[in-house]
Amino acid sequence: MAELTSIGFRKGNSVLHRLDPRTKQILLMVFGMAALFGDERFLLLASLLLALLLHQAGLRFTTIVREIRYFLYLLIFVFAVRAISFTDQFYPAISPGGFSEAIFFCWRLLLIVLMGLLLVSTTRTSDIRAAIIWFLRPLPLINEKMAATMVGLLVRFLPLILFQAREIDEGMRARGIERRRNPLVRPIRFSVALFRRVFVRADELVETMQARCYSEQRTLPQLQFSAADGWASVFGLLALLPAFLR
Amino acid sequence: MAIIETNGLCYQYQDGSTGLVDVSLSFETGEFTVVAGANGSGKSTLLRHLNGLLLPGSGSVSVCGAAVQDDPARARQQVGMVFQDADSQIIGETVYADVAFGPENLGLSHDQIDERVQAALEAVALTGFDDKSPHHLSGGEKRRLAIAGVLAMTPQVLVMDEPFSNLDYRAARLVLTQILNLHRAGHTIIITTHDLEKVIGHAQRLIIMDRGRVVRDGSPAAIIEDVERFGIRPPCSIKFNQGILPWLS
Repeated sequence: MAELTSIGFRKGNSVLHRLDPRTKQILLMVFGMAALFGDERFLLLASLLLALLLHQAGLRFTTIVREIRYFLYLLIFVFAVRAISFTDQFYPAISPGGFSEAIFFCWRLLLIVLMGLLLVSTTRTSDIRAAIIWFLRPLPLINEKMAATMVGLLVRFLPLILFQAREIDEGMRARGIERRRNPLVRPIRFSVALFRRVFVRADELVETMQARCYSEQRTLPQLQFSAADGWASVFGLLALLPAFLR
Repeated sequence: MAIIETNGLCYQYQDGSTGLVDVSLSFETGEFTVVAGANGSGKSTLLRHLNGLLLPGSGSVSVCGAAVQDDPARARQQVGMVFQDADSQIIGETVYADVAFGPENLGLSHDQIDERVQAALEAVALTGFDDKSPHHLSGGEKRRLAIAGVLAMTPQVLVMDEPFSNLDYRAARLVLTQILNLHRAGHTIIITTHDLEKVIGHAQRLIIMDRGRVVRDGSPAAIIEDVERFGIRPPCSIKFNQGILPWLS
């Protein structure tokens, strides 16, 4: 357990640690949208800004790569699918246009994931939950406390699920799963074991929360905007300009 | 004065197997009780009834004179439960957040929450661990954190399911020391275990369970000779005819 994934809150005193969680979530949403549509100038600027903030938040490059390696595998797969096309004779080929498009597509996805990683690394789950309640409160027909609890639990238990996945994978390899020739055996066995473990864990979690009098009417963290939030918003808007200036 | 009472308590699992059969017990305020039994004897099932995590199929459970079925939330506040797997009990992303989870659920003010968290951490010698990640604590520290999380709700009774499982010698000694301190401070303690060695010398009462039934109930000295026939290993001191000796000097 000591090697539990570091996706999760890390105590610190960086700029992002000091911002109100609502400001961070708004910036995440706005920059996430801009990353989907911005040109290369914006992507470059956003990447540099993100690298700076990740460094300031104490997240090392090697740690990030290790923690998102499964996503990186997926990204490589997505890149291959988008970059490689087939000729009339069904030979694989890479066109310059397809290659460039795949690069940009994967770049955008990577930026969004890193932004999310930055948010959860610099914000306590309870603060994320309180901010979601604040955002959803004006919306009718939505139980904002229930929704916030669900998001909070997801953020909180994602590292545990990844940890379980790693343990199951190691357990399967220790018993020679790599010797099986059928390529479907490993993912099927892995998925069944992981889902079973996650459901058991979910049951335990519910019992634990009940034992400690879980209630939706909980005391929430006190959220307060400060001058730093104002400056961060202004700086964020300035950084967004390249996304709209063509 | 009885703080917890069960009368004719029966419980059947969803698969039809028997959990508890006609369990009638009374726990006195300030008592230190050990509930022992082999695996599957119904110890954990009994504990889960004491704070309303499970409700009786028939019979009744009352805490401080009030039926648990009528107000399980109240019972959970009065009877704090420490689970066997400390990892599954961790909810917060820091030690402070984890201990604060219970008081937050009780709707206390931020000052009250802070006061309770600090007091609970002090009681289990985890002061200064506030910002640590619970998952990076040692096994013994996690167990003490689980106890702190329950203490922060100021329960009158502490029920602990196998509190020494997976702990090394040093960690087990520390956990036992904290438990004894809590008992001296006036808490009613109920511990389940299949390993009597560590705790029996400090307990005032021993209950033996077998296949969902209470088969022995009395002072440890009176019934310790019987435990082996119910699949429980007697303490070494009994094997060597030295009587029951405390694990901690």
